[in-house]
Amino acid sequence: MAARIVAAAGLSLLSAALLVALSGHSPLAAFGAMALGSVGSPHQIGVGLNRATPYLLAGSGVAICFRAGVINIGAEGQIALGGVGAAAVALLWPSGASALSAFAALIGAAAFGAVWAGLATAIHLGRRVHEVLATLLLNFVALLMVQQALAGPLGQFGAGFLQSPQLPAESWLWKAPELSAHVGFLIALAAAAALSVVLWLTPFGFAVRLAGQSRATAAYAGFSMPAITWGVMLLAGGLAGLAGGVEVLGVHHRLIEGFSLGFGFKAVTVALLGALEPLAVVPASLFVGLLEAGSLSMQRQIGVPSALVVVIEAVTMLFVLAATARRT
Amino acid sequence: MIDFLAAAVRIATPLLLAALGGILSERAGVFAVGLEGMMLMGAFTAIVGAWASDSSLIGVVLALVGGAAIGLIVAVVAVRYRADHMVTGLTANILAIGLTSYLLRVLAGGGKPIAIHLSPLAPWPVPGLADLPLVGLLFVQPPLTYLGALCCIALDLFLRHTQAGLTLRATGENPEAAFATGAAPLRVRMLAVIACGAIAGLGGAVLSLQQVGTFTDGMTGGRGYLALASLIVARWSPLAAALACLAFGAAEAFELRLQTFGVPVSSYVVQMAPYLIALAVLAGLGRSSRMPASIGRPLPWDR
Repeated sequence: MAARIVAAAGLSLLSAALLVALSGHSPLAAFGAMALGSVGSPHQIGVGLNRATPYLLAGSGVAICFRAGVINIGAEGQIALGGVGAAAVALLWPSGASALSAFAALIGAAAFGAVWAGLATAIHLGRRVHEVLATLLLNFVALLMVQQALAGPLGQFGAGFLQSPQLPAESWLWKAPELSAHVGFLIALAAAAALSVVLWLTPFGFAVRLAGQSRATAAYAGFSMPAITWGVMLLAGGLAGLAGGVEVLGVHHRLIEGFSLGFGFKAVTVALLGALEPLAVVPASLFVGLLEAGSLSMQRQIGVPSALVVVIEAVTMLFVLAATARRT
Repeated sequence: MIDFLAAAVRIATPLLLAALGGILSERAGVFAVGLEGMMLMGAFTAIVGAWASDSSLIGVVLALVGGAAIGLIVAVVAVRYRADHMVTGLTANILAIGLTSYLLRVLAGGGKPIAIHLSPLAPWPVPGLADLPLVGLLFVQPPLTYLGALCCIALDLFLRHTQAGLTLRATGENPEAAFATGAAPLRVRMLAVIACGAIAGLGGAVLSLQQVGTFTDGMTGGRGYLALASLIVARWSPLAAALACLAFGAAEAFELRLQTFGVPVSSYVVQMAPYLIALAVLAGLGRSSRMPASIGRPLPWDR
């Protein structure tokens, strides 16, 4: 499994080299610039870590859902609303208790994400709407809700575009001075480790794994599929919300329209790259995060469009999907 | 009123073509989540083809090719290699977003996306019919709209009245039975998904070539997903899909009206309407929407 996934990543880099050559640049120069831009300096590594953080948080949640055979595509909306939750709590938090402000804002973020995932679950289980459609359509609604929040109660008047006022400094996440990375990555690491424990060492985790292998067997063994679905969806929603909160409190220090555009898909990417194992999602999200940090400096330095990184991610996914699907 | 209907038809046309492609794919047993990417790639190849060759016809042909290419990728990964249909389709959508925006910039030689501006396709009035009151507007449409209507009727006839259509439906309901009658379910599914891509690509061409005359990053903006919702609402029937798409078109046209008349409803809330309607209808159908029986189930054959 691991060898196949690494091979898939290699094949997709090869396809990317072809695309770079098509643009008239040297693939070696492009990849060199990308590598230097991702790990060339402590600052760049910090940028990559910050990018990997929301992917790791949301991706390990998605991994648990997929493990249970619940195809949750809703991370995009859950992350976006998590950002709203964090910003709302941080702005409204009484200044007297400012020590707890960041903590409360993260709780708010997780709660918003979990509520949105819960709504999708209720529609899915209550009305038998396929979970992919329920989560997917709610993504569009969530993104519009963020815009509505920014056009109304949370917005900064006269900013020219949709964003909130800057959040109070007490709510910002702590940053490592040299690295410019915020503490969110450590939170994400802890979450992935905790999720791995839940998956492998608890009765709930056993039920999740069993349900993913065979729903009929899980039902025969007395596990309730609706209960499993609620469990994994709320967990994943909470983690995705946290991902949005960490991005807002750690990177932007305000809520900005489109701050999490495409994060939901990245979450699915790293979950599958990590073979649906929360701890393996750590290297997967680092790969994607560093790749993206590097692609920006590749675009700056030699003019290869950074959209290339989206192609690399998608092609890697396709190879991974083809290489790891069921064999009969 | 006339304007309103015209707007509804205009919005419904790309949705309908994508939904028709999706029906072909889902009736053969493959979830059509990749419609968005197929449309986007079709929109891109159509406009670039028409711009490079100075011929709309070549643009339309390339839209078929571009959409079919995404269809081929989905077919290989999801059908041949048995990956999850939903995740594969979603990935194909992301691939199309990345590839089109990358190539758009490469065409301009780097940094900025190339700016292509063509005049949108002109309407072809049908002599005699175009002058009818009210329904006349249905006969003063640009060429791809007529093509969409023709595809709709042709697909309905194909599915219900041809041997190949029967084989395709059998593949989606019970591939083992289809196999027993001598059909090749794997090949049927792959062809259905590739054809789905071509037709959805045409839907993309409607957006880029026929309606605006340019291409912008991610210009399909979720229409592929709405097409997916409308084909489910239409219970996988081409003629019902036309009605469902028109209903979505009317809802969106109504939305635009609200905004121009300055009704004090936030435009963001109004924009949520199509997705909420889709969800409400799907939730309303609930258990009664019977999918093709073997949809999403991988096939046990390697060829």
